Amino acid sequence: MRNELYVPKEQRLRTATVWPLMVTGRKIIVGMLLKDNSPGVVGAAAAAFASICPNNLSLIAKNYKRLCEILPDVEEWGQIVLSGVLLRYVIAKHGLVKESIMLVNNDLVKHDSEKEDMEPQIATREIRYGINGDIHTEILDIVSKSYLEGPDKYLSQLSHINQDSLVLDDSCITSAKSNDDVKILLQCTLPLLWSYNSAVALAAAGVHWIMAPKEDIYKIVKPLLFLLRSSSSSKYVILCNIQVFSKAMPSLFAPYFEDFFVSFSDSYQIKTLKLEILSSIATYSSIPSILLEFQDYIRDPDRRFAADTVAAIGLCAQRLPDVANTCLEGLLVLALSESSNGDAASLDEEETVLVRAIKSIKSIIKQDPPSHEKVIVHLVKSLDSIRAPTARAMVIWMMGEYSNIGFLMSKMIPTLFNYLAWRFTSEAVETKLQIINACVKGLLRAEVEDMNVQRTIGYVLELAKCDLSYDIRDRARVLKNSILNCMGLQNFEDVKNQAEFRNATNIKCIFGGETKAPIEPFSYRFYLPGSLSQIVLHAAPGYEPLPRPCSLTGDEIGCSTIDVQERRSTGVGSADSEPNESDDSDAISGSLDEENTSDYSSQGSVTGSSNGGGSHNSASSIDGNEEAVPLIHLADGSLASTNKFEESGENNASSLTDFGELMSKRALESWLNENPGSSQSSSDLGHLQRSLARISIKDIGHLVKPKTYTLLDPAIGNGLSVDYIFSSEVSSISPRLVCLQISFSNYSTDLMSSILLSEEESNKGPDSLDQTGSGSDSSLVSHDEIPTLVPMEEVVSLQPGQTTKRILQVHFKHHLLPLKLVLFCNDRKQPVKLRPDIGYFIKPLPMDTEVFSEKESQLPGMFEYIKRCTFTDHIGQPNERDGQSLIKDKFLTICEKLSLKMLSNANLYLVSVDMPVAAKLDDLSGLCLRLSGEILSNSVPCLITLTLTGSCSEPLEVSVKINCEETVFALNLLNRIVNFLAEPTL
Amino acid sequence: MLEKQLTGHWVDRSICAWFWDQILAQGDSLKLVPVIASPTHYLFQVVREGITFLACTQVEMPPLMAIEVVTMVADVLTDYLDGLNEDLIKDNFVIVYELLDEMIDNGFPLTTEPNILREMIAPPNIVSKVLSVVTGNSSNMSNTLPGATASCVPWRKTDLKHASNEVYVDLVEEMDATINRDGNLVKCEIYGEVQVNSHLSGLPDLTLSFANPSILNDVRFHPCVRIRPWESSQILSFVPPDGLFKLVNYRVKKIKNIPIYVKPQLTSDSGTCRISVLVGIRNDPGKSIDLITVQFRLPPCVTSSDLSSNHGSVNILADKTCLWSIGRIPNDKAPSMSGTLVLETGMERLHVFPTFQVGFKIMGIALSGLKIDKLDLKNLPSRPYKGFRALTRGGEYQVRS
Repeated sequence: MRNELYVPKEQRLRTATVWPLMVTGRKIIVGMLLKDNSPGVVGAAAAAFASICPNNLSLIAKNYKRLCEILPDVEEWGQIVLSGVLLRYVIAKHGLVKESIMLVNNDLVKHDSEKEDMEPQIATREIRYGINGDIHTEILDIVSKSYLEGPDKYLSQLSHINQDSLVLDDSCITSAKSNDDVKILLQCTLPLLWSYNSAVALAAAGVHWIMAPKEDIYKIVKPLLFLLRSSSSSKYVILCNIQVFSKAMPSLFAPYFEDFFVSFSDSYQIKTLKLEILSSIATYSSIPSILLEFQDYIRDPDRRFAADTVAAIGLCAQRLPDVANTCLEGLLVLALSESSNGDAASLDEEETVLVRAIKSIKSIIKQDPPSHEKVIVHLVKSLDSIRAPTARAMVIWMMGEYSNIGFLMSKMIPTLFNYLAWRFTSEAVETKLQIINACVKGLLRAEVEDMNVQRTIGYVLELAKCDLSYDIRDRARVLKNSILNCMGLQNFEDVKNQAEFRNATNIKCIFGGETKAPIEPFSYRFYLPGSLSQIVLHAAPGYEPLPRPCSLTGDEIGCSTIDVQERRSTGVGSADSEPNESDDSDAISGSLDEENTSDYSSQGSVTGSSNGGGSHNSASSIDGNEEAVPLIHLADGSLASTNKFEESGENNASSLTDFGELMSKRALESWLNENPGSSQSSSDLGHLQRSLARISIKDIGHLVKPKTYTLLDPAIGNGLSVDYIFSSEVSSISPRLVCLQISFSNYSTDLMSSILLSEEESNKGPDSLDQTGSGSDSSLVSHDEIPTLVPMEEVVSLQPGQTTKRILQVHFKHHLLPLKLVLFCNDRKQPVKLRPDIGYFIKPLPMDTEVFSEKESQLPGMFEYIKRCTFTDHIGQPNERDGQSLIKDKFLTICEKLSLKMLSNANLYLVSVDMPVAAKLDDLSGLCLRLSGEILSNSVPCLITLTLTGSCSEPLEVSVKINCEETVFALNLLNRIVNFLAEPTL
Repeated sequence: MLEKQLTGHWVDRSICAWFWDQILAQGDSLKLVPVIASPTHYLFQVVREGITFLACTQVEMPPLMAIEVVTMVADVLTDYLDGLNEDLIKDNFVIVYELLDEMIDNGFPLTTEPNILREMIAPPNIVSKVLSVVTGNSSNMSNTLPGATASCVPWRKTDLKHASNEVYVDLVEEMDATINRDGNLVKCEIYGEVQVNSHLSGLPDLTLSFANPSILNDVRFHPCVRIRPWESSQILSFVPPDGLFKLVNYRVKKIKNIPIYVKPQLTSDSGTCRISVLVGIRNDPGKSIDLITVQFRLPPCVTSSDLSSNHGSVNILADKTCLWSIGRIPNDKAPSMSGTLVLETGMERLHVFPTFQVGFKIMGIALSGLKIDKLDLKNLPSRPYKGFRALTRGGEYQVRS
């Protein structure tokens, strides 16, 4: 008895380690463990669940309520994992909560009517942006989308405006008030907020942040703040998360600003985080004490921190314009005192504070220049004492920019230019550049003609032309010439025609234009609260955004459909929950349909993508209307990849970063696999990777010729010849069935009648024709008993010389052993053997390269098999195809051949082709093909990578790598691939 | 370096080499970053008394979980070895490995409750060391599984027997205060713990109530505390683990009275700076204040210093930290420290100012004013002995100059 409970706890950890166990087997074990009543076991089971099958949320469905209730009693580590799992489940099952902040501007919710007229939608959307009371809707919008899709995907979508892949309809939204599942989750995670373990509290806070109604989110604030008193390491992590919360919802933390006051013992990272939070939550009531506190920080011995404080003051002033004057005064005093005491020891650190101070002043002034004229005057006056070149440059920029802002400034300008001209030679380069700029601006904006000023400026430009730095010389020449040219005069001094001068549009648009602060694209990245990715700000391997709302539908839950029905019957009683339920049922049928259609379209990608046309170079010119041709998945994939290669797509930046991520992962793998001591090798490898070009092979679809097998030779079959090819179609009856296309040809001189293929021991006569129609229906119902052979339509008669085709759906009991069938023809029995081809026990699984490499990284070690073989197809038949192949690149031909061979022999999806670029002309080493498929019977993904070594003219060595969870299947498939690659095409 | 691989997936040791290279390259600033993204792994770092605990992962996981686990390992090791330093760990390699084995299994925390760990692995002592040397059997794992795993209260043995039934409740408080340059109190709060040391037989059920629970601002509970009674009537009801544990952490905000004042004065002129610091009692708590220390770091621009005090001793440590230990404040005079600081050549005046950290200890009183009303014990075979204590320490008590 005593050990009984301890054992399951251990067992969960074992289950995670038992690799060879079949996936399904492990799922069953986890399912069993989840059903357990003891909290200790449940916590362990949750951990196992998260590590084995995190996406199989249907396992949770059966136990959801009980899991919620038991949550407070589970051991702390289990609580962390379990609350995350439950959150995912609720979102997948019921969708987001309509009162929660995730849907605060209801942007995600697009009603059908709205979809049609997008224009007004964009308009309203813009209005909604901005600060809505106390909540940053814009940020929240990004936050929620990032949570659901992952920020990388979201950010890459920003370029395509309004092309949201994520359009939720009303059925994806639930209400925390009426939905019991949501209510119980929130209730049960509430006590966790007071947990001893900061990780538990943060996990619970994450659940509330996403699911709780807006007005209840405040509950997470105090526990989170209390956590700040724990160790400094966890403090950092918690502050990182609070930072996101406070950015999205400043009002949440605004009353508790005192908790973010910096303590002496905080590390620099924590200090900057606190400053950032403080500057984003400051309100008019709290700003006086915050500014008072900031004043103390400026005197801190850590000058970096002091500089950050100055920047934070600038931010506060921008957020709260009413205090801008106070801030400006303080900053000015600081800048002046800093500049005066910097005279003795010119420490670099002191400079940074000064530079930051002036930068902050600059940004505050920018908001409302006319009212701050005096500040500019003050700064300009003290220009002599400011030493740091960057600071000087900024002051001079301000001088030029605002030279005509008011009476005082325009009065001072002549003197100032004289001063600048005098000092010019002794300035640093960046200051000199700004002086030139300021001169031109001054000239353009001068309201009255002043020969003196013009003369001074001419002098400065002349000086600059003789400067040591070529940057300055160049700029001076360009500016002077453009000024002179547009004046049409030879001599700078006798500027007569001011009007004409002012028309110098090209100069004006450079210098005269109203400078507006560029609206920075919002590039924060948000990841789920409490995740590692949020701390390191990139998606760590294995990071998964929230599941798609309502993606978990009834049919996936399987046995819980009864549960749904139960709930429906209760739902009739209580009217308010009724619409929810009916939506559920809609979703079920809808998703079923969708599944089927998507299967078919992906099918088309392999067989029917003949209209791709065009070389890979022209691909980039076809802009983003990929969706228009859903049939061509192959072309679609290649489009993205060429974009990446040529760096010309609209989502340039994002694709670049994606590429970078891919690279780092590769580097990581190589580091792991090979001797990790030498970092050299990894960087080398990275270099090699960089010189790969991703190409597209598009027009390959129509070239795919599946291999033909003979079932019956005409010599044996009295003139009846039966051939079959494995079709790449997927059976609509059961995923376990393989489709075959069988062609019957009559080579005899007589007419043949009633030709039928059937199972061996079936006693069905040829007359049982009428069953065929209903047969498929009945097989739908009984899922478990899949017939070996779906009865095929009988060939009633076959004329001599005629050929007819039939589709046969077969269930192979084993993927290697042949199936014995009987062929009826003219009432004669003929035993035949149908040999399976393992290459067609899979179906294409379209994905892009990132997904591929991500999945690949999830299947390391035991799930990875490599075999080598030689590929000789490319030699031997050089110029047979009338010169066309001469023009074609050799590399391309080989790529094409190789992929053609793969696709003709196995039902796969070609993900990408990477070609080496930098290497020798003839050297093909590094060519890499990626293909993906999904095992028909259990939908386990199967990833295949071919890597080539050798040169064009010789036999190539191909190393075939398979990553797949189904060990036996993968090994067999590998053997098959190696076999057909090595055997020459006839 | 001590290494333990916890999953089947082998992590190469070179990650540590990478880490040290980074530490050497970037200096101590990296030591304070708890989450580091290396080219191959993500590292979690906790530094305790000069010993760096690293955990590493390649995939997404809650970072706080890693940090908490590592912190807990550090805590348990400190507990087992009576401190934490290189020599202690070297002497007790076996125990450290055994503990790691029990605490983490396949990369997931397993048994982290210190009292249960104690049952499985005996803490080291002289006798066991001698025994292991003599018998050559170096394991001190107990052969039986801890009974607690089977009971409904996983933190407690079912059949505990103590000769003397006693339970001690300690209120340990730390005062965090910040006084700004003008001498105003910016923030003052108390962070407290209710520590219970229980040696009770059987399966006792304890109820602890405070006289003034309303002053508590935030609370955080040990897993043994039942949430419902607290929510309804603010009573702590729990079945205690055996031995010492923290029952509740709490925070009391907006305290107005601070026990000690520190008045620093710095005036600088022509390359030197005069410093004088006065310390005294502001609000007498009624008990004596012991172990008063004032600590501050000299600004980096100070080249040399000459400091003396009229009470206690002044030490300047290696990293320019000045530690003035006062001890108890005498009745007849106010302790003061004064001296001159010589600034870097060319620097006229000091424009950055140090922050003074104050440490103290007051026995017998909880400054937050929290009072324990009563402790009820149920389900006990014999009458227990109950003890209460209180203690206040200086936490982040800092005075800016």
